[in-house]
Amino acid sequence: MSYGLALIYGVLKIINLANAGFLMLGAYVTWWLFTAYHVDPLLAPLVIIPVFFLIGVGLERTLVRRVLGAEPIISLLLLFGVWLVLQNLAYVIWTGDTRSIENPFVESTVKFVGLQLSVPRLYVFAMGILSLIALQLFLTRTYLGRAIRATAQDRDAARLVGVDVDRVMGIAFGIGIALAGFGGSLLSLLFSFTPDFGRVLSLKSFCIVVLGGLDSIVGVAFGSVALAIAEAFGVRYMPASMQDLISFVVLVIVLVALPKGIVGTLRSLRRG
Amino acid sequence: MARNAAFAAIAIAALVAVPFVAPGAEYALDVLFLIFLYGAMATAWNLVGGLAGQVSFGHAAFLGIGAYATAIMTTNGVSLWITVPVSALLAGVYSLVIGIPAFRLRGPYFSIATIGIGEATRLIARNWSSLTGGVSGLTLSSAPPLLMQYFAALALLVAAVGLAAWIRASRFGYALAAVRQDTDAAETLGVATTVAKTQALFISACILGVAGSIYALHYLFVSPDSVFGFSTSIALVIMPIIGGLGTVTGPLIGAVIYTFIREQLAATLANVDLLAFGVLLIAIVVFEPRGVIGIVDRIRGIRKRRPVTVPDG
Repeated sequence: MSYGLALIYGVLKIINLANAGFLMLGAYVTWWLFTAYHVDPLLAPLVIIPVFFLIGVGLERTLVRRVLGAEPIISLLLLFGVWLVLQNLAYVIWTGDTRSIENPFVESTVKFVGLQLSVPRLYVFAMGILSLIALQLFLTRTYLGRAIRATAQDRDAARLVGVDVDRVMGIAFGIGIALAGFGGSLLSLLFSFTPDFGRVLSLKSFCIVVLGGLDSIVGVAFGSVALAIAEAFGVRYMPASMQDLISFVVLVIVLVALPKGIVGTLRSLRRG
Repeated sequence: MARNAAFAAIAIAALVAVPFVAPGAEYALDVLFLIFLYGAMATAWNLVGGLAGQVSFGHAAFLGIGAYATAIMTTNGVSLWITVPVSALLAGVYSLVIGIPAFRLRGPYFSIATIGIGEATRLIARNWSSLTGGVSGLTLSSAPPLLMQYFAALALLVAAVGLAAWIRASRFGYALAAVRQDTDAAETLGVATTVAKTQALFISACILGVAGSIYALHYLFVSPDSVFGFSTSIALVIMPIIGGLGTVTGPLIGAVIYTFIREQLAATLANVDLLAFGVLLIAIVVFEPRGVIGIVDRIRGIRKRRPVTVPDG
């Protein structure tokens, strides 16, 4: 899900506060498909990814495009509004009750070198890595992926060399939203959720993206690892209820101290 | 300007008279009280978010600190004359603690950091049980009479709006406008941008601290999820945007609209009000980023058959 955020930021230079909403929505759709139609939660992404992609493209066409030229604050507020709508729509439709997906897969574990490992956690981890690789391949090996990167680097120059910048931005936004939905669907296997689900996680993704460097995909992977380690260590020294506090504190410290992220800071250190 | 001042004086006189003209209308007084309180808070937020263009999603932190300070001090028998100023000051000091690092960031980055700061503050309040009572919050023993609350909120509103109008026309206000329009250019012209932003945040936080005091004395109960809650921060963002960012009357208009919509919808279904505000926010941002003030300007422009002049801010 953090990849989606980085992608949208890189290409459109806007910060997608609605990410949290789509993450939550991804989790709910997975749950809803499972309880109402008995669709295996593992298959839900097959529905979620294309649908969310279309929603993302539509959202970019109808709303986001109108404010792209305005001050960054305006697009931030717009997507904040979208998030408010999504979140509270979810409250109205699904109420604030905590939901979770329960089936044998979610509870299963495997023994590996004497360690009891949870299968869904391994699965989510593997899917995370896979989508990272897929995204990296897409961005470096395909025409569209290169067009997206070109637009991210310099919108006007991309237009000059013949990239259909408007279309590329719509697609990038769509992919970002699809990734958020996919992330939400995966996370619904691990955690129970409410309509407020996305908020903390979304802040964590900001943290991850900023840690990694706002426009680097590999940096995002670094960021996730760094935050996970910080949280895991933090829990040893303070109560679990304070765990989320660590992400916020890390977020603020990183924003202030390393605005270029780990990758960016290393890069400038190497140069200077 | 003189016309505005005269209008304001009449409005204040009318609002002061309300409780005496209609002594039994407790519900009306209650709604007006809420409008005053929200209006003051929205005006305070607007100093930072509107005038200086630094949108904060964490302003509930200051309200919460004011409210908790008041709850803790009054239950320990400290006089209100000391409690309220101390609450304001504590909120102000906290704003310096977070503002000095956070203002190294600009625009959207600052906004994201404030979400983190607001949430971190709430979590601290939830976990520091010995001081704050943890999740269950604190209960105050006795409320001042409703009439006194009414006048306290009105006084805070008048003070906040007066301060905002004065700041907007002052050298300090121009410095903030310069920060909003182009921070680098402002810096080049010799505006100490970080100092200006920090001062604006400090003033804003002090007003919210007093608002927190009044809040605590009105509801007699403070809990981390109410005063420090993210929905409080959201309300503070929404009101000035509905009314008109960076204007003096905008946050007031926003507070009136916000309070009415909330009073109407909160009773129907939970969260429908926030849903409505989300839609309203999107509509305003896309169609008229200057809010209700902008719409009024447009209508005036059509009537006078001349091009709409875009006032700065």
